[in-house]
Amino acid sequence: MTSFRLMIRLLALALILVALPGRAAPSPQEILVASDAVRNPDFPFGLTNTLVEYRQGRQTESSTLAIYSKADPAGGQFRSLVRYTAPARDANKLILFNGKDMWFYDPSSKASIRLSPQQRLLGQASNGDVVTVNFARDYQAVAAVEEDTQDGDRQTRRCHRLSLSAANPDATYHRIEMWVDVANARPLKARFYSESGKLLKTAYYRRYQPIFGVQRPTEMVIIDGLESDWVTVMRYSDWTRREVPEAWLQRDYLPRFKPE
Amino acid sequence: MSRAGVCLGALALFVLAGPARATDADDAALSLADLQPAEVAQASDWRSFIEAGAGASVRRGDGAVQGSRRLSVDIRYEHSLAPGTRVFVADRLDLGQPAPGRGEHAVNTLKEAYVSWQLAADAMFDLGRINVRNGVATGYNPTDYFREGAVRAPISINPASLRENRQGSVMLRAQHLWDGGSLTALYAPALARESNPEGLALDVGATNARHRGLLALSQRVGGLTPQLLVFHEEARSTRFGFNLTGLLNDATVAYLEWSGGRSATQLADALQAFMPACDCTTWRNRVSSGLTYTTPDKLSLTAEYQHNGGGLEASAWNALRQGPAALYGQYRSALRVTQEMPTRRAVFLQALWQDALVPRLDLGVMHNLDLADRSHRLWAEARYHVDSVEYALQWVRHGGEAGSVYGAVPESRGWQLLARYYF
Repeated sequence: MTSFRLMIRLLALALILVALPGRAAPSPQEILVASDAVRNPDFPFGLTNTLVEYRQGRQTESSTLAIYSKADPAGGQFRSLVRYTAPARDANKLILFNGKDMWFYDPSSKASIRLSPQQRLLGQASNGDVVTVNFARDYQAVAAVEEDTQDGDRQTRRCHRLSLSAANPDATYHRIEMWVDVANARPLKARFYSESGKLLKTAYYRRYQPIFGVQRPTEMVIIDGLESDWVTVMRYSDWTRREVPEAWLQRDYLPRFKPE
Repeated sequence: MSRAGVCLGALALFVLAGPARATDADDAALSLADLQPAEVAQASDWRSFIEAGAGASVRRGDGAVQGSRRLSVDIRYEHSLAPGTRVFVADRLDLGQPAPGRGEHAVNTLKEAYVSWQLAADAMFDLGRINVRNGVATGYNPTDYFREGAVRAPISINPASLRENRQGSVMLRAQHLWDGGSLTALYAPALARESNPEGLALDVGATNARHRGLLALSQRVGGLTPQLLVFHEEARSTRFGFNLTGLLNDATVAYLEWSGGRSATQLADALQAFMPACDCTTWRNRVSSGLTYTTPDKLSLTAEYQHNGGGLEASAWNALRQGPAALYGQYRSALRVTQEMPTRRAVFLQALWQDALVPRLDLGVMHNLDLADRSHRLWAEARYHVDSVEYALQWVRHGGEAGSVYGAVPESRGWQLLARYYF
């Protein structure tokens, strides 16, 4: 009897093991979460963002921004304090990005001006491009298709092509297609679409380097959807782990913010 | 072509399209990025520019044309003396013909000079001359309590320029911050009772003629960050202020700025040397409220309604205009110091278009309309920047009957060409 019971138990265990997949395939949303983790550290940090804008192959604008970012413990989205380092005419101007609570401060006029999400301060780059964004917070990945794609270094990579749709009102874009490397969850490319289905821009994530122990993209190349010779290159440097007190992430701290 | 040929062609296309290839445009963009040098601009303690301007204006009445020229040097310096201790200096020198300020051809404005201590992440003190500016409205700021006497050399009628090119008040300021809110307290003592019109004077009396104190409390509530203010000034009643902004949608910001307190009319205050004290002290409200809408191509449109409870109603304003010239002149002169509206109601419209028509070209238009006398001002600017240089062409027109808010401006229209170099 005892051996019979043991046999039954072993049979049941074998059935369970057979029924369980070796390893569940990650869901599209899990792939998106993993790719967010590649782009963004999971602690407050500071970096320098150098933006250069080209039109028809010629440089038209250049800005350097010092940025502190910290994720909101409640929703997970990043809040950012931004200070212009260059050009000289914009030096020391400040921007606070806290979801849709966005403020611009000019130390010359001492004016704190509330911005609407549609107000872009940096040429073609949207506010969401400039500051740190967790896509998984604002978008739902509804499908993942495996295919080969060419990355920003013109190498063919096996990717998940994720289809993201806006999941809350904070989302900047209606729909995004994002290519994420199957091997390591690195985001390689994304296409951003308007509600009418128009391609707004294409972005390449490239120049992967070890940052805080993880290979992260240190350059984003943005190509306008309508005028393909309108290109913005954003380079990230001077990554530093920084404590950002909650009290700093408000309009009244902006005039005092100075990255070290 | 044979069917086999068509199939082979289609197969070739399919193979070429195989992996999701970057387009030629993408390849070109990536090649452009490959060539970008790895330079990172370093932060500087200085932000300075020199600006030269020349223009002309048409005098009302005889149509005579008067030329003008100006040279300005503007410096801003910010330096960390030690962790948590910073010094700020901002200064501006205007050299002009005709004289930019009260008969002086060279006017220096020490805008700011103060030391800041950050005792903790949430506690700061500042001491020195500080340009404090409250208010969320665009054209008229009832809660901008420290603007009185602050403009030494009015080089532009642009509200942004009037806020930028002015001197601060000497004060001690403390600020405490917490998650989503802050409390600021400041005290600005009376240091000199009279303003000093000398061009190179520090002119402490212009902005520190009376003891003043301010409390400002902000607290984020949902998507809103209302601000409450309590301002007290020696020999005047306490004033209360309120600032609020909110998003109506992703493209529209609405704002409301209010200040209220007991006071006499502006006319009684301005003419107290000429007339006996009036029995007109009562609660008066000042309000500025508007909307800013931004289009996807970076055009921002602002419409603002302005109400000044201390200003004159149309009938009283007309009576003053038609009365003794000395009283009218005294009233207008006093308002130039306080930067208040002469009448009760006005409308302000503004359009700002960034990267208009071509990259790096910014266009701006402002329209002020006084609702008491229907006089108006139209101001337009085209500003283009290349690297460290900015060029601007400004044009202004004042229209209205004689003695009206804008009809009394000596110049009916004028223009100015500016070149600014940042170094």
